[in-house]
Amino acid sequence: MATKSVKQIVDFCQEIYADLDFTRARQWKEAEPGRKVIGYMPVYVPREIIHAAGMLPLGILGGGADMEVIHGDAYYQSYICRIPRSTIDLAITGKLDFVDGMLFPSICDVIRNLTGIWQLMFKEKYVRYFDTPQNFRDEIGGRFYAHELGELRADLEELAGRKISDAQLNRSIAVYNENREWVNRVYDYRSATPWKAPAFEVYLLMRAGMVLPPEEHSALLRDYLAAAEAEDRPLRDNCRVVMTGSFCEQPPLNLIKSIELAGCYIVDDDFMLVNRWLLEEVPTDGDPLANLCRAFLHHSAETAAKYEADMEKKGSYLLGLIEKRGAEGVIFAAPSFCDPALLDQPMIVRRVAERNIPYITMQYAENSGQMQPIREQAGTFADSIKLWSAS
Amino acid sequence: MTTSIGIDVGSGVIKTVLFQTEGDTHRWLARRDLRIRQNDRFELIAESVEAVLAETGLRREAVDYIATTGEGENVRDATGHFYSMTTHARGAIYLNPEARAVLDIGALNGRAIRIDAQGKVLNYRMTSQCASGSGQFLENISRYLGISQDEIGELSRQSTNPEKVSGICAVLAETDVINMVSRSIPPSDILRGIHESMAGRLIKLLKAIGVVQGVVMMTGGLALDSGLVKAMQDGMDEQKMATRIATHPDSLYAGAIGAAIWGAFRYHKLKEKGQLPKAS
Repeated sequence: MATKSVKQIVDFCQEIYADLDFTRARQWKEAEPGRKVIGYMPVYVPREIIHAAGMLPLGILGGGADMEVIHGDAYYQSYICRIPRSTIDLAITGKLDFVDGMLFPSICDVIRNLTGIWQLMFKEKYVRYFDTPQNFRDEIGGRFYAHELGELRADLEELAGRKISDAQLNRSIAVYNENREWVNRVYDYRSATPWKAPAFEVYLLMRAGMVLPPEEHSALLRDYLAAAEAEDRPLRDNCRVVMTGSFCEQPPLNLIKSIELAGCYIVDDDFMLVNRWLLEEVPTDGDPLANLCRAFLHHSAETAAKYEADMEKKGSYLLGLIEKRGAEGVIFAAPSFCDPALLDQPMIVRRVAERNIPYITMQYAENSGQMQPIREQAGTFADSIKLWSAS
Repeated sequence: MTTSIGIDVGSGVIKTVLFQTEGDTHRWLARRDLRIRQNDRFELIAESVEAVLAETGLRREAVDYIATTGEGENVRDATGHFYSMTTHARGAIYLNPEARAVLDIGALNGRAIRIDAQGKVLNYRMTSQCASGSGQFLENISRYLGISQDEIGELSRQSTNPEKVSGICAVLAETDVINMVSRSIPPSDILRGIHESMAGRLIKLLKAIGVVQGVVMMTGGLALDSGLVKAMQDGMDEQKMATRIATHPDSLYAGAIGAAIWGAFRYHKLKEKGQLPKAS
């Protein structure tokens, strides 16, 4: 039986989403002396290691739709995406002053360069460019990644002022295994009954996972599933689509709402992929770093930030999702000026088109305000699937 | 037999129709249009659905599919929503099977749509954000001129010396009109000037989507403005386009008609697949 209503849960998540001061994370830090918060950017960092160090991993996804970028424009050219600029503004305006360290994963050159900017701006803070392998052979990429994980562990041990034991790491791996399980249950639930779990609600739930400790986030997901099941919501005659390309800079919430209102049930997506980057449960015994390493190399999601040498395999992850979710079409939604997403797109579009799967492409920025063109594009796309597709 | 309701939620008026479909035959059984003004849209929608059900003596349970279009995405009891271009295209074909293009001009904007014989949208173009080609603009003008909206078309047709009006911006055009009134220009010439300006913009839209021949069906509220219809045909003739403008007394309902017909189509498709929504 649901103890909280969907509205209560979604309002709670919305509050976290809109709070650019990260009050919840600040409160977590202030609750006990010596606690530390480590920020990270998309697309993936091993949060298990941060958690095992007794720290809070905090997902930083830019300033969103309502933040005015003033300082950030001085650091990046106008043909660069918005997320690094608004992230700089977050930092310069003191909204990240409580964050003890930042991890910048290897997603693109822009974010890599942000590492350097951060090091110059915040000399007293821990800053790391978290490099991930582009070679997925155990003896090459695996060796490199194990070393990278080891360095991160050592850095965090120094910051925490204590060792991180294998047992602690294995416990944290178990916590994140459970969190991923709940995340996947929510995604499965939405795919099975998309009218009961609207995409914008699921988005807000996943966004809350960027700020809340994983244990709290898992409980929230469990509560939502119970509450959504208890809610009476009518099934609409919408088409089922997968949205892809939004793995870094996030679309404004209104864009997600507009797509769904226009007649598309979003049955899968790649928002905040860190929540379900690892596709299988990571073993909780043995060498934890070796286990995390193997999971990354052999059981992780596919994005433009990961190199795929075999062109015939490019886009297989998306094709798998389309099949698994029974999707009728794909919306390629990429941030403007996002090199990884936009350079990858033609290759994946080709594979989708080969299979006669309907698709559209659109671009956005985190502060896009005009939704009429989005409604128009998504609405006509939904109609074309419902009225003119062969299925 | 499939019973469907189509609801077109416009910026100014809510249009609701009830259809019964048997194979390729569509029977139009009831209609209702309600002006929104300051009223709650959702209450008006519920009222219009009740009205068409009462008119036909049907109960809600007898309706297989409720389809919305226009601004009706949020209507909770709807089975499905169709984009307004899709529904106006289908509604135009219902009202005039020869139509191969649609000009949908509502309260806030206008849209040119190229379609095929099945009502499939092939291309389209909308007016820009400026409202100088819209029903709301004409409503304002009729207020300045002290005439009712019903008189606009007939007066425009009586014009002998049309006065040019800005075709770019509603604010400039309204200023033009106020100046004309103070210069004692007859209302008929002012209205014809406005209609010519609007027709010029709409013809540009049609050309932009490749409409150069065939029947162009006018839908939406302004399809009933005989002055605009005449200005459109005159403009096309002047530009030697092989197009014929057409309108219909029920053009206002084109979006709702299209929604109801597509709703019935979807009901059959979902039934075949065993995927009928619970609301049906």
